[in-house]
Amino acid sequence: MSYNIAVVGFGLTGRLAALELSLAHNVTVYEADDAQALSSAGRVAAAMLAPLAESVLCEQDLALMGLDSISRWPGILAQLDDTVFFQQQGTLVVAHQQDRGDLQSFTERLKPLANHHAQQLSGAHISELEPELSGRFNQGVYLPCEGQIDNQAFYQASFKTLKARGVKFNFGENINCQQLQQSHDYIIDCRGLGAKSAQCKLRGVRGEVIRLHTPEVNLTRPVRLMHPRYPLYIAPKPNHEYVVGATEIESQDNGPATVRSTLELLSAVYTVHSGFAEARIINIQTGLRPAFSDNRPQVKHQGNVISINGLYRHGYLLAPSLVAEAVSLIK
Amino acid sequence: MHDPIDDSFSIYGEQVTSRLLIGSALYPSPAIMADSIKASGAQVVTVSLRRQQNAAAGDDFWQLIKDTGLKILPNTAGCHSVKEAVTLAQMCREVFATDWIKLELIGDEYNLQPDPFALLEATKILMDDGFKVLPYCTDDLVLCQRLADVGCEVLMPWGAPIGTGKGLLNQYNLKTIRERLPELTLIVDAGLGLPSHACQALELGYDGVLLNSAIAGAGCPVTMSHAFKAAVDAGRFAYKAKAMPEKDVAAPSTPTMGMPFWHQT
Repeated sequence: MSYNIAVVGFGLTGRLAALELSLAHNVTVYEADDAQALSSAGRVAAAMLAPLAESVLCEQDLALMGLDSISRWPGILAQLDDTVFFQQQGTLVVAHQQDRGDLQSFTERLKPLANHHAQQLSGAHISELEPELSGRFNQGVYLPCEGQIDNQAFYQASFKTLKARGVKFNFGENINCQQLQQSHDYIIDCRGLGAKSAQCKLRGVRGEVIRLHTPEVNLTRPVRLMHPRYPLYIAPKPNHEYVVGATEIESQDNGPATVRSTLELLSAVYTVHSGFAEARIINIQTGLRPAFSDNRPQVKHQGNVISINGLYRHGYLLAPSLVAEAVSLIK
Repeated sequence: MHDPIDDSFSIYGEQVTSRLLIGSALYPSPAIMADSIKASGAQVVTVSLRRQQNAAAGDDFWQLIKDTGLKILPNTAGCHSVKEAVTLAQMCREVFATDWIKLELIGDEYNLQPDPFALLEATKILMDDGFKVLPYCTDDLVLCQRLADVGCEVLMPWGAPIGTGKGLLNQYNLKTIRERLPELTLIVDAGLGLPSHACQALELGYDGVLLNSAIAGAGCPVTMSHAFKAAVDAGRFAYKAKAMPEKDVAAPSTPTMGMPFWHQT
């Protein structure tokens, strides 16, 4: 049976929900912002798919959900009219000599995920995986199951495919889900922080991310650098672009990045590979991650409203599974 | 006999019974932070204004801290100059409506060692401005004396550099400060990793310990919080009970049967 379904919010979860639902239903998208959805956390993110690394800080069930999501991504991207970069060649985790204690405690806290195990690396192993890091690090860890996608390409391609499927769009309208209940069979609330008034426990966690371009650096997979305050990634995207992120600050301030954060991120990236010295800074973006107080996502079903929220720093890692869960609630 | 229940210490005239002061950074989630703080039994929680951009932006996080109902001790974490620290202290007084300030002034970027000279200067300025300053300092007796001279009633020497978890690196220094400044409230701040480190600080006669990473960075912060609470109690009881003197020669604790008592050593 085909329903009239409203998807409210056109960030990452909204796009995934619309892609899934538009295969069988009449979907209308409502977004307070414009089609670019610039305030969406998913647009700013580094789009890492890192269930093992994240298992250090999140519960095991979420890390396992991350593994499930990774297996869903290729199918999702295959629906799109344009090609979107997806990679699953693992993550390399490295630490400077003085931070080796942090690397050791990180390794000890990795949770067992099915048959995916971290591999300890010597300096020689690191050179094999990433020749350009040869001689820079004496020890590291390889997390083979991990991956990443190009989120900017995904945002563009998903919009294009949804338009081609005849999905209707309403941009620039601040929609209250109650208003839509009469006119739609189901409402999928994907507003993220836009839902803050309705779900008072939601908070924003500020993150700053830098996008660089440099033909001088050739890293083939995401590199995570141990840092005392943030899980810091350098994620290589197509066309010699690198996404460096992200800070994590308990603040709802969505203003431009600070000098301190920028210095921290850029000096970290430079210590990994001096080739970044001549990289061009394409942009420095700030986003707010929607999070509940336990930093766990929630899928809720009330009447004909299904909400997906609180993905925190795990948008790309968890969204496909959470959207599948939400869609399964539609009878 | 001391009644262990009736045992408080003073922070500028305010009586505090829990000898564990706790930080609010680096927890896996705000929910785990709230549970850890509750488990610690702490009455004082430190908070940093520095990276909130502005007060309103951090409202949700502050609400979580305020919900704990604890006394708030704002800090000047990350400040490197007297001017920066004084300005931040003044902002903290406005935002948190308290004249308490944990004054932290970093002198070395790598081990985050406090700058003793700038610390003393900033302490003077803030004490004159009506603040109740709790300076985070090194374990240097003369520095502690100078801080006491400018009116500090509470001092917080380090156990080890921030976040290292190494414990009390120089027990001799800490003991000397305790002996020479008996009237002051002394709290070991920073560098603790294990509950036994906190216990040692209390055994030395320190009034309390302030820690963050040791709990927030533990595999299970809430359980570690319970462990620190027990350790602080153990150390305090031990201090009040007065330890037996240490000896170099073994002495049997039970008389040996069948041997004349004058033959027993």
